[in-house]
Amino acid sequence: MLLAYKLALASPRVTARGIEASEFAVDADRHGVHAVPAIVVDDSYAWAGTVPEAAFVERVLAARGS
Amino acid sequence: MTLGEREQAAIRAVLDGLEREVDVRLELGPTATPVTLLAAGGREIDSNAVAQDLVEAVCALSDRVSLAVVEHDEPGPWPRTTIGPGLEYLGMPAGYELTTLVHGILEAGRDAPALGAASLERLAAIDEDVAIDVYVTPT
Repeated sequence: MLLAYKLALASPRVTARGIEASEFAVDADRHGVHAVPAIVVDDSYAWAGTVPEAAFVERVLAARGS
Repeated sequence: MTLGEREQAAIRAVLDGLEREVDVRLELGPTATPVTLLAAGGREIDSNAVAQDLVEAVCALSDRVSLAVVEHDEPGPWPRTTIGPGLEYLGMPAGYELTTLVHGILEAGRDAPALGAASLERLAAIDEDVAIDVYVTPT
């Protein structure tokens, strides 16, 4: 979660939002979330699990607009 | 008390690292997609009340953090906490996610982004908006 926040603070193009999956279960289901942390980029499920900073950045960029 | 003395001391120590003031906004109201959350023993959890207790308790631990609480009548994605320039968290920042709240405030209170040079270079090349949502749970 913090990496997403760091990206948002570093780039005016990036927004980051944490969502508590059980409270927002409808949204989590809509995005196909089955494990946390689950990362959704531009409203599309991207991946689940923690990754190092460099991989996080690359995965976000790769998932952008997909 | 929402936070124990040890938790308060630990959070205060983190927030002592703030390099500038941070505004926090907490929005409360009826959720647009209601779910029933139960605590151990079957007691129903009021997520607005829990979020307000936690966010107020954390923000009170630093003079450099200002909190505004807004109550909505219309259903929406509440409780929503917005840290600094727009870091959002939907739901109760409880359990592990209390760390997200505290360190989110710390990150927003840095003078410079805490990312490596390679990451900053990659981000500088973005020419379209990107929205990242991270689904989490408190445990």
